[in-house]
Amino acid sequence: MTSEFSLAGRSALVIGASNPIGRAIAVALAEAGADVAVATTTRAQAEEVTANSCSNEMWALNRKSFAEAIDAADEGDVRGVIDRTVSELGKLDVLVNAQDLPFAKPAVETTLGEWRRVVDINLGGVFIASREAGRVMLAHGGGRIINIASVLGERGMANGAAYCAAQAGVFNLTRALALEWAREGLNVNAIGAGWTEGMGIIGGDEGRQQLERYLPYKRLARPDEIAGAAVYLASDTSAYLTGQVIWIEGGALSHV
Amino acid sequence: MAGVLDKLRLDGKVAIVTGAGRGLGRAMALSLAGAGADIVATARTHVQVEETADHVKAKGRRGEWVSCDVTDSSSVAAMVQSTLDSFGRIDILVNNAGGATDGMGNTLDKISDKQWHIGIDTNLTGAVYCSRAVIPHMQDVGGGKIINVTSGFGLRAGRNNFMYTSAKAGLINFTRALAMTYAQDIQANLIAPGLFPHDIPAAVEFWRGGKFTPMGRLGKDEELGPLCVFLASGLTSYMNGQIVVLDGGGLAGGHAPTGFAPLVPLPQEGA
Repeated sequence: MTSEFSLAGRSALVIGASNPIGRAIAVALAEAGADVAVATTTRAQAEEVTANSCSNEMWALNRKSFAEAIDAADEGDVRGVIDRTVSELGKLDVLVNAQDLPFAKPAVETTLGEWRRVVDINLGGVFIASREAGRVMLAHGGGRIINIASVLGERGMANGAAYCAAQAGVFNLTRALALEWAREGLNVNAIGAGWTEGMGIIGGDEGRQQLERYLPYKRLARPDEIAGAAVYLASDTSAYLTGQVIWIEGGALSHV
Repeated sequence: MAGVLDKLRLDGKVAIVTGAGRGLGRAMALSLAGAGADIVATARTHVQVEETADHVKAKGRRGEWVSCDVTDSSSVAAMVQSTLDSFGRIDILVNNAGGATDGMGNTLDKISDKQWHIGIDTNLTGAVYCSRAVIPHMQDVGGGKIINVTSGFGLRAGRNNFMYTSAKAGLINFTRALAMTYAQDIQANLIAPGLFPHDIPAAVEFWRGGKFTPMGRLGKDEELGPLCVFLASGLTSYMNGQIVVLDGGGLAGGHAPTGFAPLVPLPQEGA
């Protein structure tokens, strides 16, 4: 029996598949049937290695795929990977913006250069990719854009000025684009991820242990627990859903 | 290698859906059945839930109906006992019973004590009674899923809409408290449907077919079902106390008319 959630025949691009959440989403989309191209957040070599191994996982699932190291804030890079997705996978139905540049530093010590880089990647990169993918999708009757942001876009954090501001921007960018494209079959939604294993913003073990004591689940999310929502949002079953955030955060935001 | 799709299956699970006689409740019951769950469909009057149970059976699942007034805790207890007698377990509860009640559309001074209490009981207290009754049985089987149906009116208000908007807002924080208290064992989340009356001609006319919403149309009942399956599934093990708004973009805006899209160029530097 074919699942109504199946993504067979769909083509997806996951930017930021070099971090645990992006990677888990790429795998989930492929498991659900999609061909999945993957890209990094920055051109750092470690990211490229992860993206390549993620792409190999796609091939192991018998899906078409390629990996590309990009700087997610670079217009040319982003346009290039979107063009390549269309040419190698045949089209672009789903864009996942999972690019993530973690950064935490006291505000008084944060340089304008650091602020700009954090905002350029975490927010500007989402805009560039959405604009470029939007042009492709609008010309082909629609598609899905899924933006990954964090609880830090909804609540503040000490040392998080730049990161929190950028993350919050992603949520309202999501709403604005959703309204702009609501009648063109192009749905734009976000996943609000809680504290997740392996993500850079957590910092060291001490921070992680503090979080584990605090969270209702007494543990962080596994990346695959975030990824399932992307399958729902990418599928035909969510056609009436746009401009929304699906929060997967283990009750963290329910706290007083 | 369809791991993630397998996790969306609900084979062997038992779901109670309140207010399952028609509309969204029936759509959710049938989607859960389509994903493999056995269903107990409840409503105050039995005629329509009998029909829902028949539709469930037509999908090859076990479907039973129980008459239940969710505002009466002894009626809820009997419904839960009947579910256990028939199926031996409870995995999923969908608190969907509710809706506009007598007194809607009135200014505050025209709402009687009785109308207020009926509105709150139907839309909020019923979910409290049902949740309270099923949680120990969910814990018996290692965990469960509670899906509460709120509304856009639980997040934003409406003129002359007092009981409904207060009760649906209350349901949201009740759900968060469930999440805080029973995290790990039980995931309690909410669906906030937008305008979904597409099969009721008078309602479709009243809402002008959803022309004024961002997507320009009303939701179809069957569009809500898969979201309910997602929230009842293994994909949402870390999702707790949260709301998914399914409304064709309505709540993404709401501060200006739909279609408001000004063009404002940047000022010319030095001009």
